Amino acid sequence: MGDIVVLVKPSLNPDMTRSKPDGTVDLDAIPLKLDDIDANALEAAKELKNTLGGKIIALLLLPWGPVQKRTRELKMVTQEALARGADEAYIVSDEKLLPGDPIITATVLSNAIKKYAPNASLVLVAEASIDQTTGQIAGRVAAKLGLPFISYARKITINGDKIVAERDVEDHIEVMEASLPAVVSVTQEINEPRPPTLLQIRRAGKKPQKTLSAADVEPIPERKKEPVEYKILTVSRKQIIIEGDTLEEIAEKLIEALEKEGVL
Amino acid sequence: MVDAIIVASSVQEVKESLSAVSSLGDVEVLFYGKNTDNAAEVAKLGVKVYVLKSQHPGALFNAVKKLYDEKKPKVIVGYGTKNNRDALSRLAGTYDLPMATDVIGVEFKDDHIIYKRGFLSERAIATEKIPYPAIILVNAKVFEPVQREGSGNIEEITIEEDSVKLLEIKPKQLSGINLEDAEIIVGVGRGFKKKEDLELAFKLAELLGGQVGASRPIAADYKWLPEDAWIGISGKRVAPKLYIAVGISGAPQHMAGVNNSKIIVAINKDKSAPIFKLADYGVVADLYQFLPVLIKKLEEKKGK
Ligand SMILES: Cc1cc2nc3c(=O)[nH]c(=O)nc-3n(C[C@H](O)[C@H](O)[C@H](O)COP(=O)(O)OP(=O)(O)OC[C@H]3O[C@@H](n4cnc5c(N)ncnc54)[C@H](O)[C@@H]3O)c2cc1C
Repeated sequence: MGDIVVLVKPSLNPDMTRSKPDGTVDLDAIPLKLDDIDANALEAAKELKNTLGGKIIALLLLPWGPVQKRTRELKMVTQEALARGADEAYIVSDEKLLPGDPIITATVLSNAIKKYAPNASLVLVAEASIDQTTGQIAGRVAAKLGLPFISYARKITINGDKIVAERDVEDHIEVMEASLPAVVSVTQEINEPRPPTLLQIRRAGKKPQKTLSAADVEPIPERKKEPVEYKILTVSRKQIIIEGDTLEEIAEKLIEALEKEGVL
Repeated sequence: MVDAIIVASSVQEVKESLSAVSSLGDVEVLFYGKNTDNAAEVAKLGVKVYVLKSQHPGALFNAVKKLYDEKKPKVIVGYGTKNNRDALSRLAGTYDLPMATDVIGVEFKDDHIIYKRGFLSERAIATEKIPYPAIILVNAKVFEPVQREGSGNIEEITIEEDSVKLLEIKPKQLSGINLEDAEIIVGVGRGFKKKEDLELAFKLAELLGGQVGASRPIAADYKWLPEDAWIGISGKRVAPKLYIAVGISGAPQHMAGVNNSKIIVAINKDKSAPIFKLADYGVVADLYQFLPVLIKKLEEKKGK
């Protein structure tokens, strides 16, 4: 029936946050990684692939520059997406699109889907990313493509030309049904992504991938978000490890410390 | 001329959003969902209220779009609830509007908006600038709720849903515990091997007069606790005087929810777990050995 497009974000890895001497974030020094919940989206695509009968297309956009410096990291993220089940990858990478602005990102991704994945019957997007965590790309892309949208899916099943999803809202679950093609954002709970096997990693290198420039995905809208400052949040915790010869001793010392703090 | 439209599904959301846009002029409210019986309470804040008695995300999107088209507000503001994010990201995509989420501070200048929000899973704070018109979704409990008396009109609107069908609503099991108000919280993570073992954490919490919260996987994925125990960037943000994290690794998305605690204690068997750098007091131990001892010591003290 159709292909599955998975939007894959090479995100700044928050666990490798780096600071400049003035306390601002050293963006260029933080490495990129395949975003956490994108792994869930790829896993979901693998599970649905047989039912939908098409291939899995990973679509990446480099949101952090400089392009030159990010080439190797971008390649690694692409390889990982392919090892995690994508059959082919399109990678948009262009200095003109940096730094990522959700308006530009969503437009470029939508343009790329129309042009390079015209047979897509499903677009899967993570509920949010680890660097910006704004969770707005899926909804923007759905609006741009004019497709039905289901957000925060914890479970999806394909039923003929329909998709049924369990949508997580804070205090209840909504079972939603949409006609395909559709855009669906998935949550971390949707599955347990399996780490790629050695064989999958080796095969990934042979799968087709194509790098696109801004010119390939026009028209590009005007940038609206301007960074003013990115400042490291310093948490000044005491970081005292309580030690002792026995657990009893440690427990007593802990209770004593907490009493001194006035929190018990 | 309407300056701002608030999109909200509870009175508290309206009060805090009103506070966020207090420097702007005329404000109207789109009040939707399950609590619309409280619309009169919103109107008493002196704002015009449009009531949408639906919680269908497509209906909400259509309602927001209709109001946006008619009123051309400079700002749309609300909490970052899942329904708000769903509907407003679609509005943002429809008109290429800038949209800031998880906002913890905002200034409305003459020709632009400056806001602050978490960045890098809240390891950093971003300050960014966007033009009008824009969508601003604020974090809960950041803005002091507005208290005022007035009288606004209430107008019920009916809107078509979009093509997506809502087949069924399944309730979640919730504890109803207000973790946001708890003074002491014992947070449980994947260091616990099975649901029954959480009894240790409940025992500890009970002795301390506290509540039990959890990392996302424990509540949302394994469902060992009701989902209102979920603490973190996508769950609840708490600020107890004491947070005891047991078997929690210290992922930034979890810590974002507890960083306002006065004192953080970490109990983890891995001495290199990131949480020890984010805690005041750390105990490197197996929780299965340490918690019974800690509980015993606390009981002894209480007995005295
Ligand atoms: C967009 C996004 C949003 C997210 N939102 C949230 C959120 O709101 N809240 C949240 O919590 N997470 C959130 N997460 C998930 C987060 O990244 C982590 O995966 C999660 O917090 C890990 O939970 P944990 O610490 O319980 O488990 P783990 O990371 O698996 O840690 C378990 C810890 O237990 C220790 N341990 C194991 N056995 C024992 C033992 N016997 N005794 C003592 N210690 C032991 C281990 O050493 C380890 O450190 C989010 C992720 C993303 C991508």
